[in-house]
Amino acid sequence: MADTLVETKLLLPRVRRDTVARPRLDDLLDRTMDAPVTVVSAPAGFGKTTLLSTRLTAWLAEPVDPGAGGARAAAWVSLTDRDRQPGSFWTYVLHALDRAVPGSASAALALQQTGQAPIESALASVVNELSVHPGEVSLVLDDYHLADGPDIAEGMTFLVEHLPAQLRLTISTRADPALPLARLRARGELVEVRAADLRFTGEEAAAYLNDLHGLDLTADDVAALEARTEGWAAALQLAVLSLRDRADASAFIAGFAGDDRFVVDYLAEEVLGRQPEDVRRFLLNTSVLERLTGALCDAVSPTPDDQSRPGGRAMLDLLERQNLFVVPLDDHRRWYRYHHLFADVLAAHLFQERPEDVPALHARASRWYAGNGHTEDAIRHALAAGDTATASDLVELALPALRRARREHDIVTWITQLPVEVLDRRPVLAVGLIGGLMASNDFATIEARVHDVEQLLTRPASDLVVVDHGELERLPAALEVYRAGLALVGGDPSGTIVHAKNALGLAAPGDDLTAASASGLMGLALWTTGDIGAAHRAYIATADRLTHAGHIADVLGCSLAIADMELTLGRLRDAENTLRRALDLAEKHDAAGVAGPEVMRGTADMLVALSRIAWHRDDLPEVADLLRRADDLGEPSGLPQNPYRWRVAMARLRAAERNWPTALELLDDAQRVYVGDFSPPVHPIHATRARLLLASGDLDGARVWAREHKVGADDELSYLREYEHLTLARLLLAEHRATGDIATLQQATALLERLLDAATAGERDGTVLEVEVLRAAAYRSAGDQEAAETALEHAVELAEPEEWPRFLLDTPGLTELLRALAEQRPASTFLRDLLAGRADQPATAPQSDIRPGAQEPLLDPLSDRELDVLRLLGSELDGPAIARELVVSLNTVRTHTKHIYTKLGVNNRRAAISKAHQLGLLSRSARA
Amino acid sequence: MSTHEPCRYEIRVQGRIDERWTAWLDDMALASEPEGVTVLRGPVADQAALHGLLARLRDIGVPLISVTPGASCGQDDER
Repeated sequence: MADTLVETKLLLPRVRRDTVARPRLDDLLDRTMDAPVTVVSAPAGFGKTTLLSTRLTAWLAEPVDPGAGGARAAAWVSLTDRDRQPGSFWTYVLHALDRAVPGSASAALALQQTGQAPIESALASVVNELSVHPGEVSLVLDDYHLADGPDIAEGMTFLVEHLPAQLRLTISTRADPALPLARLRARGELVEVRAADLRFTGEEAAAYLNDLHGLDLTADDVAALEARTEGWAAALQLAVLSLRDRADASAFIAGFAGDDRFVVDYLAEEVLGRQPEDVRRFLLNTSVLERLTGALCDAVSPTPDDQSRPGGRAMLDLLERQNLFVVPLDDHRRWYRYHHLFADVLAAHLFQERPEDVPALHARASRWYAGNGHTEDAIRHALAAGDTATASDLVELALPALRRARREHDIVTWITQLPVEVLDRRPVLAVGLIGGLMASNDFATIEARVHDVEQLLTRPASDLVVVDHGELERLPAALEVYRAGLALVGGDPSGTIVHAKNALGLAAPGDDLTAASASGLMGLALWTTGDIGAAHRAYIATADRLTHAGHIADVLGCSLAIADMELTLGRLRDAENTLRRALDLAEKHDAAGVAGPEVMRGTADMLVALSRIAWHRDDLPEVADLLRRADDLGEPSGLPQNPYRWRVAMARLRAAERNWPTALELLDDAQRVYVGDFSPPVHPIHATRARLLLASGDLDGARVWAREHKVGADDELSYLREYEHLTLARLLLAEHRATGDIATLQQATALLERLLDAATAGERDGTVLEVEVLRAAAYRSAGDQEAAETALEHAVELAEPEEWPRFLLDTPGLTELLRALAEQRPASTFLRDLLAGRADQPATAPQSDIRPGAQEPLLDPLSDRELDVLRLLGSELDGPAIARELVVSLNTVRTHTKHIYTKLGVNNRRAAISKAHQLGLLSRSARA
Repeated sequence: MSTHEPCRYEIRVQGRIDERWTAWLDDMALASEPEGVTVLRGPVADQAALHGLLARLRDIGVPLISVTPGASCGQDDER
């Protein structure tokens, strides 16, 4: 996504040199710096941007009272009409905040990227983060009227209502924003700066005209100008340009004052009339451009052959020097724009004088942008030129790259900009839109659209418009893929499999992506039905094709699913190899610099998944090491699901160390940051939590879980709920141990028998292993020694070759049986190690005494109070709530946060908690 | 898509606006009235077009005085 950001939109505009001091406004603005929300609402040309950028620059430079927290930061967004799209709007706002306070919006951006979460949850994460931030942030949304609308207002309302104390919001706009500001106004939390405030007073006008620009006008002339322009900054600026080097200033002012023409019209005409013809022509030609740069201007307004005329770059320099309403957009003077008001005046002149030239100017701009890889701008200008065909061609040719970059949202936006009838003749675009809509979870119209394109494809080739013939060949297979996807969404796995098979049959040789999508969907459908063997084969095929197509990040995602299935199939070694291979692949690509300086996304997930393997092997130091490595890689190296997966993995480690409170906290935290993906949720966090409760001896808690999630011993079994039913079997066995109730034991045994049959039929040996261990425990409790031995022997047969002790270690009451078995098989090192492992882990072990910070002490340890704050940072509480909980001020919390971040070497809340868990700082958190 | 005649509007603004703005303002006819008032007259396709036109006037900083729909404007112009 980052590569699509227009960087200049996030730059704080440079302070202009030609401004006059306006102490009256400074007082007003001082108030704005203390108010949570400021709205600067005035028409174009009133100096809103100048005022805010000047004030913000000064605010950043002010010395900060060290007691008041930390550094100041500014987040600036210059909005455009494209930001009416919430996706674009929030991407810019979140990036601006994340640059102002590094790490503050990284979780929000990850959430937003999934496209699944409502904007409120992404914003809640930023608010939560900033509410403990030590410094202060000022967010300015400039030209908000361009983005304002119901789609934006929803998230903005949430933000305004949950604004943390550290964040000031300033909106500059030409029309009052559609936000619920009345309550803020009533509480005195809203400062409004309006046109009346921004108008130049007589004194200010005099200072501007005479002191700054040295026009040397009489008091009467100044008064006349001030009255005629009504203190409108843009008009005064035009007046300066009209008056410069003019001998008859008073006569000009008298003429202007006595005229009733629209102010800007009159003055702009003057200014334009005073320009040499080539400058005038350049101004009008380039008025069709939103942004200006030398080469683009050369393309749109070519300089006549005469070599003495300045080129685009020189012309822009000239305009800036003469103050002719160009605004630099970057520090290198590469990109400019016209002041909005002036741009409109220029465009009006162009429309009136040479309307026939307008399409050609846009066409040239379109060609330049297309040639320079700015497809979006190229499309916009092609449409403005009325050239639907070129615009459609551009979109069509951009589709493969957009898909590769996962920019499905842009696919939908771009195609829907085109006239709708384009889709009736352009099958590649029609299918592109279907794919974009599918990826955005917008399924309502898919069925009809697929049908329409299928009809279209039956027509003679001469009826179709196609520029990308390679894409045309893919369409029949792609349509079957979408039908498969639609079936899966509709809960019809067998339909999915049928369509996916069709797609595989139709896919052109070498079309790896379509084939990968088809086999991926087939794998997913098979997975949900519990046919893991077949699902596994389909996923392997998918991963091979993705590797071939170079989609490494997706190969990593696939590998997670493959390893998960291999565990279920009882193939721990294969699972480990799958993950190690994926990790190698990622590291090879990192070394080749394919993804730039950043670590391949998904790398952290491989490490976390490998920690699960190490946990199954009971190699706890390895688990800790893998989780540390994953954490050290940082957020961008993980898929959106990694934060929750990391917490679940860390919870398993803490549970294996018998540190139950910390483990449970981690699981609660995991639930909070949970983000789903395509894979079926076969290991829900709540069931893992119930297992932990059982292991810690909290039978009541586990009973509540079974009730709340309606997990019953007589349920019909399905693979999707197998993990929950296995958990229930553990609960029933624990119940029996506690109460001695025979009926409970019988229930457990019956459930386990049914689970065994289902797992055996599905060839899920990993499940069989767990069931057999539990059966052994159940039969031993029932006094059926022979059945217990048989079950255990079967379990060991499955576990030993894979070196997989986890289930045998975690199930109480098996020590004697295992010892007997070990005596029969003296050569088995697996059994010997297993018994040694169990010896120091009695089933009802007391809480271990793992010391906080025992693993890796900090150079500068946290104080007790900082530890208190750190614990609460791991909760859902925001800054003020943490302050209330600890009975301190918010400033104190912020100071503690600052110290904690520094000592842990992190820059945000989530990273602080991960680090703290990794260092064991939060162990034994339930303080006596 | 409605097929009826677009509604005609009369929009009064403060300040005399030059003829040249006609093309920029959706080909509305511009007429000067006393006291520097300009009247824009012409067909406006629908509510969205009307708001677009008003936004253009706002963007060049022209003060708006009134917006009056013509007699022919039926209720079906509403969405």
